[in-house]
Amino acid sequence: MTTYAIEDLPGLDCGTCGFRSCEDLADRLTNQPELIKRCIYLSEDRVQVQEQSQNGARSLFAVPDLSVDSQRSTRTPQPSWTASPVQSSCAGCGVANMPVSSVTRNVSRLVGGKTVPYLDSLGRDFDFYLEHFPEEPGPREIIIPHNPLLTREMDIQVGDVLIGRPLGMSCGCPITHCGIAMDVDKRTGVIVWCVTGPLNPRLKGFKDLGYYIAEGYEGLIHEARCEIRIGERYYFQPKMCMLQWRHSGLVNYLNRLPNGYQVRVEGLWIG
Amino acid sequence: MSENLPTERIYFDHSATSPLDPQVVEAMLPFYQETFGNPSSLHWAGRVAKTAMDRARMQVADLFHASPDEITFTASGTESDNMALVGVAEQYPPEECHLITSSIEHPAILETCKSLERCGYEVSYLPVTSEGIVESSALLAELRPNTRLVSIMAANNVVGTLQPVGELARITRAHGALFHTDAVQAAGKILLHMDTLNVDLLSVSAHKLHGPKGVGALYVRNGVKLEPLVYGGGQERGLRSATENVTGIVGLGKAAEIARLSMSEEAVRLVNYRNWIVESVTEAIPNAYLIGHPYKRLPGHICLGFDGQEGETIKLMLALDENGIAVSTGSACSSHHGGQPSYILMAMGMDPIRARGSLRITLGRFNTEDEVQRFVEILPKMVAEMRHVTSRIFA
Repeated sequence: MTTYAIEDLPGLDCGTCGFRSCEDLADRLTNQPELIKRCIYLSEDRVQVQEQSQNGARSLFAVPDLSVDSQRSTRTPQPSWTASPVQSSCAGCGVANMPVSSVTRNVSRLVGGKTVPYLDSLGRDFDFYLEHFPEEPGPREIIIPHNPLLTREMDIQVGDVLIGRPLGMSCGCPITHCGIAMDVDKRTGVIVWCVTGPLNPRLKGFKDLGYYIAEGYEGLIHEARCEIRIGERYYFQPKMCMLQWRHSGLVNYLNRLPNGYQVRVEGLWIG
Repeated sequence: MSENLPTERIYFDHSATSPLDPQVVEAMLPFYQETFGNPSSLHWAGRVAKTAMDRARMQVADLFHASPDEITFTASGTESDNMALVGVAEQYPPEECHLITSSIEHPAILETCKSLERCGYEVSYLPVTSEGIVESSALLAELRPNTRLVSIMAANNVVGTLQPVGELARITRAHGALFHTDAVQAAGKILLHMDTLNVDLLSVSAHKLHGPKGVGALYVRNGVKLEPLVYGGGQERGLRSATENVTGIVGLGKAAEIARLSMSEEAVRLVNYRNWIVESVTEAIPNAYLIGHPYKRLPGHICLGFDGQEGETIKLMLALDENGIAVSTGSACSSHHGGQPSYILMAMGMDPIRARGSLRITLGRFNTEDEVQRFVEILPKMVAEMRHVTSRIFA
């Protein structure tokens, strides 16, 4: 274990390490040598040198060799505990332009021993399947009634069974959808629901939203034929879509998971 | 005041500006009323003002272990920065003057550099690490025979990271160039002693250290020559003509004195509050992360990001505001440019999505333990409320 002494500290008693004096910090260094990193006046290069050599011959304050070569050969070590890396191309994966490494990535997929291309029921190609979170009752959608005040007027509550049809250019669909409200924002009218089959409304009753706009989808990607990047627009196939029509949308949230990606897709269109 | 303000208010935006210390107000008050003289006047009224200004100059010099005649009063930190850069550059024809700065400087530096570039000067912008630190190797790589000035901020205004000013200044001096540091955020918070640092020029602003707005200072090491920005009656040794803002200068002097006397004690208190907030928030909010260096940062400065919610930090800031808590998203100086990713976070290697979403929490002298406690209780709830409609909680 690397050890430090009071002589290794600047003696400024500045308090920026969180201790009242260099002496107080030195006392703690006996048992917690990593606290040396709190001293803002010690270069991390020199702390590293001390850790490597530990011969006590070189003071942490020794004037460094300022030659170009020596300066270029030293790199500031990265901290080990910064909560999240900062270089990334997306909101969650932490690595620039991370390819879909743990997701099946092919121009076609293998189903029941047969090779099946990424084509929807109308023969159009798409880039990935969007699947719902396994612990949820159905695909998660972010929707807003065409009259957002309905959310408040109908007193939509989490757990309510709702029906409605996605109308309009964003994601028009001829099929009335049924679902369960998961989250409700009465201020804006935005509802997050999970789309289910019609059994719930039949058994439990429902509140009819009339027409709504589908603003976004959230789900998982386990199968894709290309790299998925945040900010890119894709064709995709909602796995539970009754028509098995491809949709398109822009991925604006991407979080890497052990077995794929969690995504949010907005700017939706059918086709 | 017509605006309805929350009854319980917490101010955590000291990097934008700080409240006046009551002792500063007390020192300034006479200069609004009975002590009104022009310090250039030879009569009694002028002499009183001149004495007060001399005292303030001494107080500011003491903060930086400098000589009083090395302190020039200005109207702001921005003016000090302009004076340093333009004052050095204008002594040379453009082809004989190369300047170096970092890519994460305050606009007071960057915009001045752009202006100099339009006049034909060459400026190099140093990259920073993912923690926002300028490495000495980067500086060494850019130094040229005609490099006249290197300007690197002491502490960044958005992420709070401290620069290795001592090392960078030493390299610069060894090269024969001048070194300027924008210490607007750092002054009064960390030790900046001119007798041990090879710094030639240093900018400071009063309102960042519990002093009044509209006054700043530039430390100019004895022997360093500058071209003035403002010409006129020759005040401030000819460097900054204009009748001095005596009241503000007295306030700056008092603020500098208080900062010098309380700095170490304050640093301990604020570092512990800072660590408390960082640890609590990152524990309670799984997608929260600290931006910048964990320790080499200003004592009371916290910059947080929220994975997947970067686009919602403005809403978070507004929601906190509704609860009486004042924080900011990035720097107040760039709040007029909303919608743009932060150039500072971009320079640190963040992608445009992440670079939009930082929450800056900056603590100051009058913040209390109770306020920190309230904040660490409220913030996770706010983040959760933000998330529940627009994003599914992490799997």
